[in-house]
Parts: sequence; C-alpha cells; structure tokens
Amino acid sequence: MQTTRRSLLGGALAFAGAAVTGAPMVRGQAKPRVVVIGGGAGGATAARYIAKDSKGAVDVTLVEEGQTYQTCFFSNLYLGGFRSYESIVHRYDRLASEHGIRLAQQRAARIDRDKKTVLLADGSILPYDRLVVAPGIDLKYDSVPGWSREAEDLMPHAWKPGRQTQLLKARLDAVPDGGLIVMVAPPNPYRCPPGPYERVSMMAHVLKATGRTKCKIIIVDPKDRFSKMGLFQEGWEAHYPGMVEWLAPSVHDGIKSVDPKTNTVVTGFETYQAALVNVIPAQMAGAIAREAGLAGASGYCAIDPASMKSAVDPNVFVLGDACVAGDMPKSAFSANSQAKVAAMTIRAELTDSRAFPARYANTCWSLIETDDGVKVGGRYEPTPEKIKEVEGFVSKTGESKELRKQTYEESIGWYAGITADIFG
Amino acid sequence: MRNTKKATILLAAMAVDAGSSGIVSGATPPPPIARVIEGDRALGEYLSGECVTCHQLSGNYDGIPSIVGWPAPWLVEAMNDFKAHKRANPVMQTIAGRYSAEEIAALAVYFESLMKQPPR
Ligand SMILES: Cc1cc2nc3c(=O)[nH]c(=O)nc-3n(C[C@H](O)[C@H](O)[C@H](O)COP(=O)(O)OP(=O)(O)OC[C@H]3O[C@@H](n4cnc5c(N)ncnc54)[C@H](O)[C@@H]3O)c2cc1C
Repeated sequence: MQTTRRSLLGGALAFAGAAVTGAPMVRGQAKPRVVVIGGGAGGATAARYIAKDSKGAVDVTLVEEGQTYQTCFFSNLYLGGFRSYESIVHRYDRLASEHGIRLAQQRAARIDRDKKTVLLADGSILPYDRLVVAPGIDLKYDSVPGWSREAEDLMPHAWKPGRQTQLLKARLDAVPDGGLIVMVAPPNPYRCPPGPYERVSMMAHVLKATGRTKCKIIIVDPKDRFSKMGLFQEGWEAHYPGMVEWLAPSVHDGIKSVDPKTNTVVTGFETYQAALVNVIPAQMAGAIAREAGLAGASGYCAIDPASMKSAVDPNVFVLGDACVAGDMPKSAFSANSQAKVAAMTIRAELTDSRAFPARYANTCWSLIETDDGVKVGGRYEPTPEKIKEVEGFVSKTGESKELRKQTYEESIGWYAGITADIFG
Repeated sequence: MRNTKKATILLAAMAVDAGSSGIVSGATPPPPIARVIEGDRALGEYLSGECVTCHQLSGNYDGIPSIVGWPAPWLVEAMNDFKAHKRANPVMQTIAGRYSAEEIAALAVYFESLMKQPPR
C-alpha cells in the first residue's frame, strides 16, 4: 500500500516537473479508433469518458443492439412500486450529441482479433486500435433442469432488463392472496449479489401493501449464504413476518427440476406448486466475448487488474459483468468504476494523456422496505493476482430508522448520479 | 500547462496524514508549517471519476450533496473529517481513508475549478 502511494506520488511529481513527452500515437492514420461493444454501465461509461476526455482526439464508436437501455439496477424498485418503468429507461442520444460518439445501434456479430475488426450484423466492418468489450451476461438456460429459453415467459428470470422485468411485475400483481412464490436463486458468480434478496423484499412489500399477507415467498438457494444475509433476514422478520423463507442447500437438498407448464419446483425434500416461479439461472459472459476467445473455463473473461486489459489480448479491454474482477462484485457501480480505469489507460496509450494508477470502488444499496435501505461496499486496488479489496463496509443490523432512511435517500442520489455519469 | 494550483490550505491535510504519507523518499521534507501542496488538477480530474458516480457533475441534488465548485478548503476539510471518522458515512470514510493528502489536494483543486461561485 505504501509502495503504491509512493510510486503514485513519485510519478505525479516527476510529471509535474517535466515537459510532456512524445505521445505513443498510433502512426499512419489521422485518429486512433476505439470500438466499444455494449452500451451498458461498463461500455457506455467507457465510451463517454474516452470521447469526453480526449476532446475529439479519439474516434469512438459504441455498438449497442438496444435502442434504449433499461437499467437492471433499480428494476427491483420498479417491481416494488417505488419507481416508474420510464424512470429506469435511458437513451443514447446525448452520448452522440455531446461527445461525438458514433452510435452503431445493432448487434456486434463477431470480433476478429487478428485483423482488429468488429463485424456488425448488417455486414459492415469496424476497424479498431483498441476494443472495449462490455456485453454483460448471458443466462445459462440449461443450468436449472426443466427450464429453458422457451420457458422464460412462463417462469421469468427478469435478470436481463426490459420486457422480462415488466412481465415479472405483471405476474406478481396477479398472485392471489395465499399464493406461493418460489425464487430459484443463482449460484456464484452472478450479476448483483444482493439483487435476488432485494427482489424478494420488494415482492413481499407489494404483497403486504396490497393486503396479500397470506402469500409466501420461498427462496430455493444453491448457496449456503448470501450478500447482506443478516440484514435481509432481520428485515424480513421485522417487516414481513412469516412471509419469506430462505432455504439453504442443506435444507432443500438440491433443486431437482422445475416444470414451467405446471409451475412446480421439485427439490430433494419437497415439491412446490407455485403461483409464480422466478428462475434466476447461472450466468456467463455475453456471447460476443466468449466467441472471441476472451473467456476462460469459468465463462468469464480474465483481465489485467491494473488496466482492465484482457489477459489474452493487449488491444482488448473487458469490463463489467463479463470480466473476472477479483473481489469486486458484478454491479453497475463496479462496471462504471472499471470503465474509468480502462478509459484512462486507453487514452494514455493512444494520445498524450497521463496514466494514473488504477483504483476501483463499489457500493451496492438495497431496499428492504419503505425507507429501510442498507448498503455494502468497498475500495479495491490491483495486485498482480487480482483486483483486491483493501477496505470494505456493510450496514449493521439494528441501525436506527433515520440512518436506514438516509441510506435509501443516498441510493436515490446514486442512481441519478451514475445514470448521468453513464449517459451524459 | 499542468494547470496546477497552490492549495496552501492543505496544512490540515498534512497534519492528518503525517506519518503515513512518505512524500518522495529521499527528499528532505520541508518544515511542516511551510509545506505547500500543489493541487494536481489532472490527477484530480482522473480521481474525480470516483466521486461523480454519486456526486453529479451538473451540481444537481437528488439525495447526495453537490460538491461542484466547492472552495478547495471545504473539500479538504470534509475529506479529512471522513478520513478521521469525525463524519459518519461509511462510503465516504472508505473513500477518503485511502486518499493521500496530495490526492485530496488534487480533488479539491479540480472540483473548485468547475465553477467560479460556490453553489450554496
Ligand atoms: C435485479 C437487479 C438489480 C440490480 N441492482 C443493482 C444495483 O442496485 N446496483 C448496481 O450497481 N448494480 C445492480 N445490478 C447489476 C447491474 O445491472 C449490472 O452489474 C450492470 O448492468 C453490468 O454492466 P455491464 O456494462 O457489464 O452490462 P450491461 O449493463 O448488461 O450492458 C451490456 C450491454 O451490451 C449489449 N450487448 C451485449 N452483447 C452485444 C452485442 N453482441 N452487440 C451489441 N450490443 C451487445 C446489451 O444489449 C447491453 O445493453 C442489478 C442487476 C439486477 C439484475
């Protein structure tokens, strides 16, 4: 730690005294080209920071197949009735109008790492000097026996944003009093560690607020414990007594199968007949990253902790949920933080801008019930092995109502802040 | 060109950081009272990426206070208070705790430069 600080200081002071040295420009072309695949928390932030900070010196193209972006973050608050759907939908136009980013609103079909090009769905080819790959996750449709892509409307996942999120809300609203909801929780590592449990809280909130207190939510979990476990369990007990039951593998003896047609979930111990089943399957990096050979056996992409460069290709950076970010969780906050390190590194490589040591941060807020917000987070630094947590914090059980309310209000501020930081 | 700016107000920061920050090894440290830190704006701009995830660059308030255009001493004082756990928020304690006096100076100079008048 001391060494890091010292080298930073030394670097900064040495720079302050010296004239700017020759830039490592890409020779033989007017402007260096950066292509970013994925306009989510990671990719859009990277595109915006590279374009904004290079002030036109770098040609940035953002490839995103969606016309708009629906945030997964705060989608649970939409489910709970705390946010409108419109409030979690964001547009890309300011990235183009304010920072001159070229938008390619279509699917990136293939990356050719030897030729340094990206093939788009319409057949056009984008050459790059540096490529940022931030496609988020793909779902492992075969990870829950009986469930499939065809069955995702019968047993929604709502783990990729948009239509699925709206479907889950409609299905929740239709659950009769006394009905059973089963959540099949995902195995590690997955997008948003506290997300499933915040979702259960929001479901319980809606049921309670609409007088459906005879309903029950059972979480069948492949994990022995989960993020902010003590905080969620305390909150469920206090706000939704008898309504939420979490089952560890030792209790349910394994998720044997689900039947989407009959809404049944079979575990080693019991068969549940449910009014609504929310299957959150295992996950992996988005297809474009895996097909380009950037992912390892884990299904996610190894990176250099100091720069976010792919471990297998120095011209490619992998950000957000698709990468293996050491101790950082897969969150929008993390993706946004990683994007800034990548953007800084890319600018330093392609223009005459300064390079600084990488640093990362994350905070994940969760809402348990109205004005009852909790958070977990940390600071991270690169080590040769991984991005390592150097300091962390988590809300405590038994905190005052005032503090919990403040924490919730802080999360509202964070959402406004991060979406402005991502989309301009 | 580097757009540095003297932030003499950083004596407080130095006091808090004394002992942990080893300025440049080998250099003779000046007497503490005369220590002046150059707020490195470019460093501040990079580090600010961490702040603006929550504190909006527009200066808007939606639950997290604006820090845009704050006079540098305010930010230094706030960061030092978080660092010393004199202010309560664990997010800010964690963030401030890892910053050196030089980094705090850089951030202070950067945020001060964003607007001439403080927004309060
Ligand atoms: C219910 C829920 C709650 C959450 N809550 C929080 C929270 O409170 N805080 C938090 O920080 N995080 C939260 N998250 C996690 C957060 O949403 C993700 O971690 C974050 O979106 C990851 O960013 P990303 O850029 O890696 O991927 P994404 O945001 O998923 O962006 C990837 C983008 O790439 C595009 N794409 C993929 N492949 C291609 C291709 N081949 N061509 C073109 N475009 C492509 C996709 O359309 C998508 O827009 C939550 C997630 C869920 C599911």
